[in-house]
Amino acid sequence: MPDTMTRPGPPSRPSNPPDRRRRASSHRPNVLSLLIRGTRDRHWTFNFGTALLVLILTLLVLTPWIAPHDPATQDLTNRLAGPSAEHWFGTDHLGRDVLTRLMWGGRFSVTIAAITLVICAVTGGIIGALAARRGGWLDELVMRSVDVLICFPDVVVALFLIALFGTGYGTLIAALTITGWTPFARLMRGLALEINSKDYVEAAEILGSPKAYIVFRHVIPNAVRPVLAMGFLRFGHKLITVGALSYLGLGVQPPDSDWGAMLLDAQPYMERSPSLGILPGAAIFLTALSVTMIGQGLDIKRKARKRPGTSAPAPALASVEGTAPGQGDTK
Amino acid sequence: MRMFLIRRAATLAVTLAVVSVLAFLIPYAGEGDPARKILRARVNDPALDPAQVEALTRELGLDRPLYIQYLEWLRHAVTGDFGFSYTSRTPVQELVVPALSVSISLALASLLLALLFALPLGTWAATVRGGKVDNAVTFLSQSAVSAPEYWVGPVLVLVFARYLGWLPSGGWDGLTYLVLPALALSLRPLGYFTQVTRAAMSDVLAAPYITAARSRGLSFRKTLAKHGIRNSMLPVMTLFSFWFAGLLGGSVVIEVIFNIPGMGRLLYTAVINNDVPVIQGGMLWILTLAVLINTVTDLLYGVLNPAIRVTSHA
Repeated sequence: MPDTMTRPGPPSRPSNPPDRRRRASSHRPNVLSLLIRGTRDRHWTFNFGTALLVLILTLLVLTPWIAPHDPATQDLTNRLAGPSAEHWFGTDHLGRDVLTRLMWGGRFSVTIAAITLVICAVTGGIIGALAARRGGWLDELVMRSVDVLICFPDVVVALFLIALFGTGYGTLIAALTITGWTPFARLMRGLALEINSKDYVEAAEILGSPKAYIVFRHVIPNAVRPVLAMGFLRFGHKLITVGALSYLGLGVQPPDSDWGAMLLDAQPYMERSPSLGILPGAAIFLTALSVTMIGQGLDIKRKARKRPGTSAPAPALASVEGTAPGQGDTK
Repeated sequence: MRMFLIRRAATLAVTLAVVSVLAFLIPYAGEGDPARKILRARVNDPALDPAQVEALTRELGLDRPLYIQYLEWLRHAVTGDFGFSYTSRTPVQELVVPALSVSISLALASLLLALLFALPLGTWAATVRGGKVDNAVTFLSQSAVSAPEYWVGPVLVLVFARYLGWLPSGGWDGLTYLVLPALALSLRPLGYFTQVTRAAMSDVLAAPYITAARSRGLSFRKTLAKHGIRNSMLPVMTLFSFWFAGLLGGSVVIEVIFNIPGMGRLLYTAVINNDVPVIQGGMLWILTLAVLINTVTDLLYGVLNPAIRVTSHA
């Protein structure tokens, strides 16, 4: 397994045989191969999560073609109906098909969470890598900002921005990004410092390789998996926060609807038609569960590799990253 | 240590400066004249009397340069005076303080509940790594982490308040009112605490000093009690403080669902009603507290773990 050596280990692991290190730098792992190869020897939760996520994403992507009804068509004579052959999951308070609305709503929830996440990962990654590279005042500025922003509850930040700019997709994404980039910056800074101190990077520098070459050849390939793991772990968080804001009526605005907004609509009818208030939440839950399982699966292996021989409980610190609530929790 | 304190104090000062400017700007953001907006929030009448707008502009000094207005506002704000709520006409401070105490009790109740289950579960899983119990705990913690509280909360209400009638469905009037919201709120921290306890405990148990203690003849149980728990508590403590700071203002959804007069609901209703002084005061309080709590945690971390004091924050 050549990829074992490209993963960041403890900074000075003395037992790297030189021949394996050479193989490492000549092998560039890509995301797809990592994922495919990954399923072979992973925890069952990782495989389960992957299967679940693929299923959910397939349903959401195919929604315009396979959704049984129109999401907006009302049928007031058939309100709050139970499951039937016509409406598998019943109908809501306006007689709209619940299954159809779940599918369309999921597209909003998942898309917003994903967009936010990509923005967070990219900005956080770049900022973290720059901080590690430049050091000095920039590093200081970045890390102090991270210290502060990481402990801001993001629903509060969202309320703040809504008070300033009103509701809207822009506000929503901005609010989630302000707190969301911080764990990625911290992770990327650590990774970059670690990778930059590696012998092969030093060798490349001595050989006169251009900086861009080092970044694309060594830093990025080595950072892909940890950042990806963090991304999956944060995804569930984002999804839940987006849902929370929609639930408060501050996220996705009508006529659009997402899972959180569906839960909000269902509240007055919880007693009469419990499934209405259970299904959208279950959708959020299952999606968040799948990505959490994938993220931890990707993460476990990295930590497992780090663990042997390390005496200090350092890896435990890393596991606090990404689980802190300020960066993405809704409470 | 002193350097660390100075640095943190500076960070806090800069944060407060930025947050206060943003909070001050709330009535000026977006379109329109602040005096009109304030009047609209107060009287709820779209057709405003121009004379009234004029009078308010002069009364609040809204025609002065922005930075003078800011300094004036800040001078009052630092003494805790954020003015009067537009909707309830009470001083902001009298709204914030009780709300904060409600949120603190709710946050502590749910986090302690989470710890109560997470610590034994995480430790147990760590001692039997890879086994059936570990698998089950991993799955449960992943599920707990993924369960939105605004889904769990209403379902709990449905079952325990509506069907069974054991507990009140909302409000804030004694211990029984605390149970359901604390349960709903504790689920996600429970998952995270379990994961972190398990990870930290696994690391500690693999450490040489554990092997040393065991080879000196200390029983496994005693090793765990003496070395394991103490050394694995640090990451849990950090996470606890993160969540505590977060829940002070961030338990908005649960407070709205259960109609709890806490900080989250206060802020939420203020934003909905455009009650600017309450938003400003509430935001500054919550964000300041969040930064303070984390600073204290970092200090404690250094006290409890000398190794970190030397290496990081240098």
